[in-house]
Amino acid sequence: MTEQTTNTNVIDALNDQKIGLLSRIWQGRKWYGAEWYITGFGGLILFVILILAAFAPQISPYDPNGFVGAPFTPPGQGTQTLLTRSGENLAVDPEDLEWVELNIGVQRNKNGKKVADANEAASTRFMTEDEMLEGLETGAVDYIFVDDNMVSEILAAYPGFEIVATGLGTSFPLGTDNLGRDYVSRIIWGARTIMSVALASALLSSVTGITLGLIAGFVSGALDRILSLVMDSIYSFPGLLLAIAMVAMLGPGLVNVAVAVSVVYIPTFFRVVRGQVLSVKEELYVEAARSLGASAFSILTQYIFPNVIPSIVVVFSLNVADAILTEAGLSFIGLGLPPDIPDWGYDVSKGHSFLVAGHWWMITFPGIMITLVATGFSLLGEGLSEILNPRLVKN
Amino acid sequence: MSPALRRYIVVRILLTIPMILILVSIVFVVLRVLPGDPALAILREGASEEQLASFRAAMGLDKPMIEQYWDFISGVVQFDFGVSMTRSRSVVDEIKTFFPATIELAIGGMLVTTIVGVFSGAFAAQHRKTAADYTIRVASVILYSIPIFWLGIMFQMLFGAKLGWLPVSGRLDPGMTPDSIITGLYTVDAILTQDWALLKDALRHLVLPSMTLGLVLAGIFTRLTRANMLDVLEQDFITAGRARGLKERILVYRHGLRNAFIPIVTLLGLQFSLLLAGAILTETTFSWPGLGRLVVDRIFDRDFTTVQGSILFFAVLVAGGSLIVDILYGFLDPRIRY
Repeated sequence: MTEQTTNTNVIDALNDQKIGLLSRIWQGRKWYGAEWYITGFGGLILFVILILAAFAPQISPYDPNGFVGAPFTPPGQGTQTLLTRSGENLAVDPEDLEWVELNIGVQRNKNGKKVADANEAASTRFMTEDEMLEGLETGAVDYIFVDDNMVSEILAAYPGFEIVATGLGTSFPLGTDNLGRDYVSRIIWGARTIMSVALASALLSSVTGITLGLIAGFVSGALDRILSLVMDSIYSFPGLLLAIAMVAMLGPGLVNVAVAVSVVYIPTFFRVVRGQVLSVKEELYVEAARSLGASAFSILTQYIFPNVIPSIVVVFSLNVADAILTEAGLSFIGLGLPPDIPDWGYDVSKGHSFLVAGHWWMITFPGIMITLVATGFSLLGEGLSEILNPRLVKN
Repeated sequence: MSPALRRYIVVRILLTIPMILILVSIVFVVLRVLPGDPALAILREGASEEQLASFRAAMGLDKPMIEQYWDFISGVVQFDFGVSMTRSRSVVDEIKTFFPATIELAIGGMLVTTIVGVFSGAFAAQHRKTAADYTIRVASVILYSIPIFWLGIMFQMLFGAKLGWLPVSGRLDPGMTPDSIITGLYTVDAILTQDWALLKDALRHLVLPSMTLGLVLAGIFTRLTRANMLDVLEQDFITAGRARGLKERILVYRHGLRNAFIPIVTLLGLQFSLLLAGAILTETTFSWPGLGRLVVDRIFDRDFTTVQGSILFFAVLVAGGSLIVDILYGFLDPRIRY
């Protein structure tokens, strides 16, 4: 009783002060304790990732698919050296490299510019490091940019080369992959990919699952039994295997993967909603509405559905967390998105094939990101379930 | 056995059959609508029309869909899953070859899950609402959020590539072959034939995959154990034990844990499908020749019969697992009435 009074007082005080929404949320920690911090922490992680996803074109330093640096550049390195054939008087002033890049094999990495877009031809002329070195030796190009760290090795192998200038361009904070693509950009664009796939599939499964659950719970009878049986069969089956079979059928692609993943999570929504409907529809106020002549549709939407919302929010959040892992798993197996869409799961699997070479950054960073996003949604769902269902909280 | 329990068991078994049938039908339809002609995919480009036609006839692919479905279902009832489309072996033989690897991995993973999950869960329950409790809870959420294949690769990188302590792929070193395959579980076979070098090699290969699979699942197990332990620790017999002056450690880990164990094991039975899903990714990461790898590889090969056979096998495993758990639960806990 006393606690009730204090809470009312605090709320009144808050209303009197007319404080903003943010400080109000901040004050919430007083009532919810640890759950508030858990939810807040999860929300904070997701907020940052959502910003990355939303403003990917603005934040990302390079095109995620552009070959902007030397392959396998370790994190924090990647400044480059301009090489040419010696003895042909090809020296150039490093201050003015604009014209050099027009007849060059590999672009110097440039902050803030998407070189692959502007110079499609130049950036795709050589697919590998060896091809590029050969290109300079045979005279296909007059200059190449190579990683600073590799210069001594290259000069030992090709005595005919000489250094024009060194320490050019910028470094790559998270390194580059086997094609010289910048990992910072891939991480940022990957956030957009994973968020859209996971949210789209969760939306799809929630709409389907909720509708079916409402109908099954409300109608009961044979329809309910059949739906429940089908849903239980899908639910009991390993979700990843189901998604694998679905993607194999639908083929790769953003929409197809989202659809395949969504099938896995329809039963969770169905079960929760159906259970809630079964318990809610016996309540007195539903009976009252029915006796007053309310139609079945309005009972469902106005009396039953609002009671289901809190559980849906929780299930949604936890399912997105799981959907992220399923999507990443599909990409890892090789049944995910087409390779031109930046995708963390794909990056991990690519890194896996260079495991023995010790290129740790190719695996570590995308994996951390997947974990982070999944953790964010899990924590959010975890905290919300305690906050939204206060009856479950034990003393 | 009470009539009510007997009736429950019969109904439960009867419900399992349509469940499996539904899954198998979904898989059958999904695979038949797959783009790409299996005959062309398997015989490669350049195969003559006659070759393609005779392959289709041999595999029954030229028959109408309904007839293919009927053939498949009637075969399944007789434990005949057909012949692999890419290898000249029966699908049942294929499953027999690959399944032991999955069992071995699953047992290893369960071992890690149980040890890590039970102890951290019990510890968290004992120290409820302390820093240790919150740390374990957050850690369990993070553990469950780690992509299982990534954890595996990190282990490979650390213990395999960097430190060189453990092998990173396969079930045995290239030079090693078991003299005779009895159970297909190399560790068990090695003990039976007393081949200690083989046992050591098999165990060394098993460590990293088991840790990967086990740790990710331990996140769930920790939470289950904690929740159940909290219930048990509030009961009167614990208070009574405390009043008699029993040590807290003995109360929690002997008296408490023993009573929390039945619901934990039951709930674990329900996580069986998670274990199998995790096994697919773990097997891919560690090139572990198990059922999960079989399905994934054969999807790329368009080997319909093997894929649908192994998926059916997965479905039976999951359905059978939950059936056994449900029935066992009825026996173990006489308070449950049907």
